[in-house]
Amino acid sequence: MTFENAKLVWELRWDVDWVTAVQFIGNSRRVVAGNRRGNMMEWELPEKLEGDAPDPVRFYEGHSNSVTKLRCIQDGSTLYSSSFDHSIREWDMNAKDQGETKVVLNEGYIYQSQFKRYSKKQEPMECDVALRKDSKKLGGHREWVNVMELSKDEKILVSGDDGGHVVFRDRASGKIQKSWNVEGWVHAVAISPDSKQALISERRPLVFDSAQRRALKLWNVEESKATKDLSEEFKKMYLPALAWSPDGKTLLVGRGEEEEGKIWMLDAETGEKKKELEDKHQYGVTDFLFHPNGKHFFSAGRDTVIRVWSLKDGTLVKKLGEPRGGQFKDWIHAIDITPDGKLLAAADMAGQVNIWQL
Amino acid sequence: MNSYCTPQDHINRRALLKGSLLTGAGCSVANFGSLFGADEVTKTAQKKGKRCILLWMNGGASQIDTFDMKPGRPTAGPFRPISTNVDGMQVCEYLPKMAKQFDKLAVIRSMKTGSPDHPDGIYHMHTGFKMSERTPHAEIGAVISKYCGNLDADLPSFVRMGPCGNAGPGYLGPNYAPFSLKRDGSMPTFSTNNLKPEVRERRADLFRFLESEFSKQHKAEPFEGHRLAKERAWRLLRAKDAFDVSEEWPKQKDRYGDTNFGRGCFMALKLAERGVPFIEIGHDNYDSHANNFVCHKANMQQLDPAWSSLLIDLEDRGMLEDTLVVWMGEVGRTPYINNRAGRDHYIKAWTTVLSGAGIVGGQYYGSSDEDGREVAENPVNEGDFFSTIYTSLGIDPRKKHFWGKRPVWLTPEDAKPISAIMS
Repeated sequence: MTFENAKLVWELRWDVDWVTAVQFIGNSRRVVAGNRRGNMMEWELPEKLEGDAPDPVRFYEGHSNSVTKLRCIQDGSTLYSSSFDHSIREWDMNAKDQGETKVVLNEGYIYQSQFKRYSKKQEPMECDVALRKDSKKLGGHREWVNVMELSKDEKILVSGDDGGHVVFRDRASGKIQKSWNVEGWVHAVAISPDSKQALISERRPLVFDSAQRRALKLWNVEESKATKDLSEEFKKMYLPALAWSPDGKTLLVGRGEEEEGKIWMLDAETGEKKKELEDKHQYGVTDFLFHPNGKHFFSAGRDTVIRVWSLKDGTLVKKLGEPRGGQFKDWIHAIDITPDGKLLAAADMAGQVNIWQL
Repeated sequence: MNSYCTPQDHINRRALLKGSLLTGAGCSVANFGSLFGADEVTKTAQKKGKRCILLWMNGGASQIDTFDMKPGRPTAGPFRPISTNVDGMQVCEYLPKMAKQFDKLAVIRSMKTGSPDHPDGIYHMHTGFKMSERTPHAEIGAVISKYCGNLDADLPSFVRMGPCGNAGPGYLGPNYAPFSLKRDGSMPTFSTNNLKPEVRERRADLFRFLESEFSKQHKAEPFEGHRLAKERAWRLLRAKDAFDVSEEWPKQKDRYGDTNFGRGCFMALKLAERGVPFIEIGHDNYDSHANNFVCHKANMQQLDPAWSSLLIDLEDRGMLEDTLVVWMGEVGRTPYINNRAGRDHYIKAWTTVLSGAGIVGGQYYGSSDEDGREVAENPVNEGDFFSTIYTSLGIDPRKKHFWGKRPVWLTPEDAKPISAIMS
């Protein structure tokens, strides 16, 4: 698979605020995204990848602050969302809607144009959508929940917040099984395929202050104990993107913020750097994703280019998208791929969800 | 040197040069009261025993993420407002301890200023005048040092720590230059004397003898200023224990926060107790063109315990009524959020906070519009702000000085104190 014919097929309109998270729902054509205001929206993608971009079909009401992550179990029945509002919400994706509502698409254009930042000419338009608001709220956090991941077997949901609190819970019951505090704020988490280890990066973003914190450690989940400190290897770096390959052999580490978005492949057993990838995002890395074929992974960052890499040797296979120009680019906050590996969705800071045919 | 003013009211060029050099080197220890004698204004201010602690938010804190929140508006950002101990008044959720001190605060939400970048903004918000003016204006610490300082004090009257002002004593001369501590509150290296006391005294006597012989033939202010500075530096060495808070700090660090800024605020309290009339504590770094929210969250978690504990302790000691506590930076930050998740510099509508020294707390003064883009009512410029500060400290804000032959006033001609926030 070379991704030679990969192309952008739709920009799903929303444009109310930054789109910060995105997730396909099981094997369906449903895709859900979250934004900076805490709203969530769903689209139903047509079977034929052509024609105008579809309008949204469902609005999810629940969060009151930025949605940070969306994760769905493989059968598409349950969606989890985490947020700056200190909560995780569990959504029954087969439940009935609670009526209908109107949403305004392109509302963000009004705000952006007031400040002369945005040149895209799209007038606001109303749209009728179904309304879903019966989520189950999961506690355990008292700060912004920045990270949330599902274990490979989907039995565990791990989350971390800006208070440094790491929570492992039984996904089915929502019951907390393990929790501990790290010294800084939890910036990213990756969990091993057997759920026994976790790779956690920390930050405390102070400038010129000894209390600033940058750390990367491997943890033994059962003992809630750090087993390997990799911080020295990534000195002075904030690391918001981590991933553990499905085969358990490789760790991906991405440098974030406004530094060059470098990516490293690590040996999962030893924690040693295997390779620093030659190409890099112009600014920080935001997300990683493994392709279902087991041979490739994707990275997104603080530019508008998604990169496809070979998992075997870390070579760059393809770039999706072009830089938008200007000194600073919009970000792609998050990416997701359908289980069949044919479609990729990207949460775009410009206020839309980009759908790529791979 | 010919001039139309008396030596008490001006300095000559050489003195300024010397002052600039000393200030530029960051090692002046000269601001021990007035070299030129105290006039009536000084005496009046001194009698009132007023002092000022400036909490300087270096880089420019975001008004919308602290005291002028815009919940529900596109400019709001992810922070949420919380109630304070004054009905109807709110602050950011990351200032919970300050929320309990709101009855002490006058929050000016209508700052409309004229210098949008850092060097000029820092100068403007330390002097009340634009940096582009050719007159070397005196910064707030030097002015308060002159008018509220004790001439006979062993301790400096203008102390600062961390990132602070950039103007220096200006036309007031090197005797009002700041005594700068390191970021962590430790003394500058030159203050460590490795000589035995008897050797030090012998050297001092030799210096005094040489200076007295020299000054018989060279009558000029800088020589006398130099001699006085040396004398006061020796006095400082005897009083330097005032800067050592290590014994009390273990009991206070949980309240103030175990940070440089927390320690600085506690030291400011202790120095104010010892009679130092002006202390500035700088807090880095609010210049969040990128990642504004995590930057402000981290900073507010340091600011909140330190500032609130300082206010509580000043009040408990009966010092707050004579101590003006100022919270400000050089600029505000844009209401709009850029595509680096940052806010840029903004001077059209931003916020400063005053408390103590007769400031009527528990109120907002002025306001910005619904998105925070423009001042909606009661605009306050730098001159008005400094006029308010000086008036509350018993200093005539229109006091005239001279730079050479040129008259210079403490604040611009049209500056007016904000009477609505002063008792």
